Amino acid sequence: MKLQVLSYESKMARVKLTEHKAKSLLYDLLGYSYHGVSIDRKGLSQYAHTLSKDKKYVVKVDQGIKKRMKQGLVKLRVSSYELRDAIDELAKKGYDQFIIEEMLPHNQSDERYLAVERIRKGMLITYSKKGGIDVEEHASEVKRAVIPYYRHPELGSGSNRDPDIHRDDVEQIAKELGIDINILKQLREFCEKYFVSFLEINPLVVRKGKVWLLDLAIEVDSTAHFFIRDGWNENDIVTEKHKTYEEIAVAALNKKSQAAFTLTLLNPNGSIWVLLSGGGASVTIADEIHNLGFGKQLGNYGEYSGNPNAEETYLYTCSLLALLLKSNQRRLMLIIGGGVANFTDIRITFKGIIQALAEYKNKLKKKKIKIFVRRGGPHEFEGLTAIEEWLKENKMYGLVSGHVLPLNEVVGATIKELRSPPSRG
Amino acid sequence: MLNINKLRKTDHAIISIGSHIPILQSMLDFEYLAKYDQPSLKAIIATGRKYIRMFFGKKEVLIPVYSSVSDLPSNIRNKITLFINLSSARRVLSSTCDVIAEFPNLMGGTIFAENVPEKHELELYHYSQKKNVFVVGPSSVGLLISNKLKLGAIAGTQAKQLVESQVFTPGSVAVFSASGGMTNELIRLTSQAGKRLSFSLSFGGDRFPICTPVEAFLAAEKDTDTTHIIYFGELGGYDEYELADLIKSKKVTKPVIAYIAGTISDMFETPPQFGHAKAMASRGEETSKAKAEALRRVCIKATNSFTEFLSLVKKIPAKIHNIAIETRHASSLRIIENRRPSLFINSVSHDVGGSVEIVKQDLLTMVKKQSYGWIVASMLLGKPVKSKELAEFFDFVLKLLVDHGPYVSGAVNTMIAARAGRDLVSSLASGLLTIGPRFGGAINQAAQHWLDGVGRQVEAHVFVEEIAKAKKRISGIGHRKYRIDYPDPRVKAIMAFTGKLKYKKYTSFALGVEKVTTAKKGNLILNVDGAIAAVLLDILSEKEQCSDAELKELIDIEFFNALFVLSRSVGFTAHYLDQRRLDEGLFRLTQEDVVYV
Repeated sequence: MKLQVLSYESKMARVKLTEHKAKSLLYDLLGYSYHGVSIDRKGLSQYAHTLSKDKKYVVKVDQGIKKRMKQGLVKLRVSSYELRDAIDELAKKGYDQFIIEEMLPHNQSDERYLAVERIRKGMLITYSKKGGIDVEEHASEVKRAVIPYYRHPELGSGSNRDPDIHRDDVEQIAKELGIDINILKQLREFCEKYFVSFLEINPLVVRKGKVWLLDLAIEVDSTAHFFIRDGWNENDIVTEKHKTYEEIAVAALNKKSQAAFTLTLLNPNGSIWVLLSGGGASVTIADEIHNLGFGKQLGNYGEYSGNPNAEETYLYTCSLLALLLKSNQRRLMLIIGGGVANFTDIRITFKGIIQALAEYKNKLKKKKIKIFVRRGGPHEFEGLTAIEEWLKENKMYGLVSGHVLPLNEVVGATIKELRSPPSRG
Repeated sequence: MLNINKLRKTDHAIISIGSHIPILQSMLDFEYLAKYDQPSLKAIIATGRKYIRMFFGKKEVLIPVYSSVSDLPSNIRNKITLFINLSSARRVLSSTCDVIAEFPNLMGGTIFAENVPEKHELELYHYSQKKNVFVVGPSSVGLLISNKLKLGAIAGTQAKQLVESQVFTPGSVAVFSASGGMTNELIRLTSQAGKRLSFSLSFGGDRFPICTPVEAFLAAEKDTDTTHIIYFGELGGYDEYELADLIKSKKVTKPVIAYIAGTISDMFETPPQFGHAKAMASRGEETSKAKAEALRRVCIKATNSFTEFLSLVKKIPAKIHNIAIETRHASSLRIIENRRPSLFINSVSHDVGGSVEIVKQDLLTMVKKQSYGWIVASMLLGKPVKSKELAEFFDFVLKLLVDHGPYVSGAVNTMIAARAGRDLVSSLASGLLTIGPRFGGAINQAAQHWLDGVGRQVEAHVFVEEIAKAKKRISGIGHRKYRIDYPDPRVKAIMAFTGKLKYKKYTSFALGVEKVTTAKKGNLILNVDGAIAAVLLDILSEKEQCSDAELKELIDIEFFNALFVLSRSVGFTAHYLDQRRLDEGLFRLTQEDVVYV
């Protein structure tokens, strides 16, 4: 099996940008210059000359982690000669991406909170004049307003958008935070231009009308990368820590394919493993395992959908089986499950699954694996017949059923087998 | 707004943006099984072809393809009531806006693509609301109304799936889910439990579906057929709170059975992203447990267990169905499963059950009634000629081009082949193979010039300059012997056919060009090829009502050259027979005939 590692990132939905990238883009749009340095453990020496001996710095983990301060992932007042140690210390906690910025001395009373989220009606602005790490303790100060950002497609992209703004709301926010109204307009423009779905500045330091974005977190819509010419790209999306080789491989497969694939390891030593299809059905089956009290034994979550071809399904199954075979459990159960597909071809996807099972046949037999199948859809009969024959021939048969069996009952059958004493021979 | 009663009453005309054959074919199969006379799919927006062949039952039908929405003829444009958008995510916003803007009678449609940016979804949401058009999706398998409408992959792409799910018996249960797979699963499950569907749709798993759960629930409330609603929800988002508000305020009163999936999310340290874009519970209110509870507070039967959900579905009171109607689909299904695509399609002639028809006329009747010119013109056009003028002109040209003496390359080749002892067909083919850009192929090229010049409304002298600048010659202009002061009598005879024409725009243009070229040089006159091309274009345009696009197509397929090939075949055949009769023996050049360089 050959797998190429491309990138961590999945191609769907809201993803976090690194703070360094987010700040570079936003400061640039606001017309400020930004001197923060993005760094990994190896990268420090090449930036060392840009750092001043007289100044104090802040070092933060830059991997999209919430509440960094409270988790001890931020080092304050670091001298340039202490930077290496500060980074090493954070790296020991399992991180590899950091941001270094000059320390900005300020009063806590200058700290504001400002967040923007894309919702159906417009941009939801959440703000408070008492920002900082304890913003939640001043919940009564937190206010909300919605600015409709909607622009009529018939008006074209160059039209004057200002009439849409609820001027009163914007003025009120600006006044309360003590900032120029134009900053709010620029934030809105920023969200539109870079397909930002969520933006949070906490604290926003305001002094005499000038602003500093001390901590900035943004989520962009990763599906929009095609429409972004200059700005962020896939390399600016934060990397999560602790990913297995197999999960990375599946993320890479997902990125390359027309179809969709996800794989998340839950319990490396789980006894129930799942090869599921369909966003809804996969959650239903996983729920059933959880609801029946076997959630802790579930090795993974994941799903494929959108009619992948046999080759892609083969690669996906290989990744899953590689994880499954590392489990230290003496008996393993695999559920190949899914609803009644609309257009995913069962014969073709099952061809890929069988090919992968055949490749790992001997190892799977040693683990005394039993496989339970429930699936429906186009060419259901051909696909199910093929896998039933293969499982029986290789003594891994637990159950094979089409749409007649209710979706969740494949879980019941699997758990029954797991509870029963292993058969001899 | 989605109005199911109205959708049921309308005779639909559907346009597809992009083509995904299994999905579109399943829509045609659905309508065939629902006993439609003809498919509702009227046009496909795609590139590279003129139509797509699809099955309607066993029969094949041609669905016309247009390269853009604006190319649609107005008679189709005004009929379109629904769209299905199968284009890629990056084209969803612009193509859907085009469709909504272009079709005056549009009611709504569905969008299939996954990975459409949130921002685009919201722009479409607001735009469609303003235009009062419903849009289901993106990333939706579509909308289904029992025995009436299938707009998307919903309920399956194989006819067998449709029959097994009993979607041809109108029922009373509405099924909704963000998940396409679960929508189909629930459709199947409902029918297995002995209930039948009123309608069903999948919102799509994105964060901002354009047709919201609220809109779907309100549509179910207003739908006269629906008595119960089945809803499969997921963790992530706040839709269920809005649904709870609807029920609390009595805007929805029909019983709802709901399952909110995603309790598994509790297992994860940090909230993970599940299969759908919106399936991520960042905040407490977004978990499946909290949402199911919110629904239970307004007395909805909402569960976090699928088993419980199933038993609730089974308890929905079932109506009695007409089993006879449901079993009749078995034979229709056999027809669908045993069909195969034809190898050819043909519009010129028929041979069905031994009776031959040419352009829809019985062969013998036609032979007795029509002139040879009429038959040739009709067959080459692929449809019966309407005007006397075209038939007469063909008759004349077929005679005129029959031969031009033995010196021309085609005649020479034929004679050489004949003298080499080859048979009739080989010798004739050898002559025909010389026809091309330098010999006999000028009519088509001339027609191309005249169509281009008239189409662009360019003045004759500008046109001549353009071609001169490109260092090319104008086909249809120039003769070796005849000059402006010594005109070609054949051209005069051809021009006589314009007597009954009104506008003569192509002939006028050709004559305008001749005026410019003969001013430069006396022998650059309109020749036989140029004249035939011009007059033929005028007759086709005025007497046969051919559009510019049709004329262009005739040029592209070499219709104008066909006339020469056909006529001159008589000449070549005559030269072959002549050589055989005279039996001169093998032709060979001598040293004097070749110059060595």
